[in-house]
Amino acid sequence: MRIELDGKLVAMTGVVTRVTEALGEALSANGATVARDHTELPDILIVALPLIPDGGFDWSELHAQARETGLAMKARGSGRIVFLMSAMAAIPMRRHPDYSVEMAAVLAALRGLAMSLAPEVVVNGIGAGTIGDPACAGDTVMIGHTPIGRAGTIDDICNAALFLCDPLNSYLNGQLLPVDGGWSVGYGRSF
Amino acid sequence: MQIDLEGRVAIVTGAAGAIGRAISRRLADNGARVVIADIDFAGAEAFAATLPRAMACHIDIADEASVASGVAAILDHFGQIDILVNNAGINTHAHRVNIDVFPRAEWDRILRVDLDGTYLMSKAALAPMLARGAGGRIINIASVVGLAAMRLQSPFVAAKAGLIHLTRSMALELAPQGVLVNAIAPGSVLSEGTRALFYSEDGSFAGRTAEFMAQVPMGRPGTPEEIAEPVLFLASPAAAYVNGQTLTVDGGWTAGYPI
Repeated sequence: MRIELDGKLVAMTGVVTRVTEALGEALSANGATVARDHTELPDILIVALPLIPDGGFDWSELHAQARETGLAMKARGSGRIVFLMSAMAAIPMRRHPDYSVEMAAVLAALRGLAMSLAPEVVVNGIGAGTIGDPACAGDTVMIGHTPIGRAGTIDDICNAALFLCDPLNSYLNGQLLPVDGGWSVGYGRSF
Repeated sequence: MQIDLEGRVAIVTGAAGAIGRAISRRLADNGARVVIADIDFAGAEAFAATLPRAMACHIDIADEASVASGVAAILDHFGQIDILVNNAGINTHAHRVNIDVFPRAEWDRILRVDLDGTYLMSKAALAPMLARGAGGRIINIASVVGLAAMRLQSPFVAAKAGLIHLTRSMALELAPQGVLVNAIAPGSVLSEGTRALFYSEDGSFAGRTAEFMAQVPMGRPGTPEEIAEPVLFLASPAAAYVNGQTLTVDGGWTAGYPI
């Protein structure tokens, strides 16, 4: 897939993982300039949360940073924010209680930003299921409840993130797009 | 976005309407051969003539015989079905009333198209899709009212909520066979139908629409093209791990209470 990002500055903040490295390459391949330490106000901000659930994490600083950048984008009159987060934002897992709580908080923050920064700035997120082998997102036990029956690929996540950066995708706002093979939609296990 | 749908055959129902036309055009622009299916055959023919390699097809999705003969004609012409976009749907215009006085005939008419029609079309398209074994995609066009209820259109609200949950159950059933099923829940979109109800000729807000638009963070209705873009993504190989989801394309309307 190809999107038009020629001349756009993308800033990436948060954790560095195999997913964010691949996404940086994908954004560059579509014409964007990708920066981790940026001084200029970016056109697109990628906020990368930890995708492996090992305990909780402090999301408040990333939220504050996203809000600050978002308000500057709003003042300028344009911008996009894309959160890379977990599908556990939509449905908690018993074995990852703290992480599920934090992800749900990030989803509420995302929606709040979408409402307060619109119409100039669009805010959405990717909800990763189990991705990669070895897994770089999610928990491999999720696969038993995933109707597609396998882990997703890093490309699957990158493509969905590109879709959220696509300038032609301009009325989607305040949404979590789960990329989880159907893990979050219902009871996928066969008996 | 640009994607490669060369070699794919896509059916779009309700394709003579504004959203259906935009979806069909985006699929065709990216290499798909598109079936312009509609109950309005003249409209379907006129629009199909504007696209490369498109086929017009008369289908009344609420009528099982019409669905069967339409799908047979499509297979005869293109030999395969890879993508089905269940876009056709109706709402009540004449009966904007509460459930206690809602006319039975109007209830039946809406449920037959919006819910039964999606089942009939999906079933008919799935037979050749599954037999061929090359996987496939089904994209159901639901509505935000299937997620957040609205007044004075109870059968439409119920049908669209049903469609969203039908999407999930189809996704669970069909993923093992390589068919992925997702939905789009559009918010208010400028089309012939909504223009008559809510907007003036030039798209400006008529009547109480300004009040309603104040609830939408983006402050405007969507365009048919803005619904077509997410459909294109869900139909593409790029969405290979997206399944059973309902993507709400509403400018943030249902993301929370913007007060």
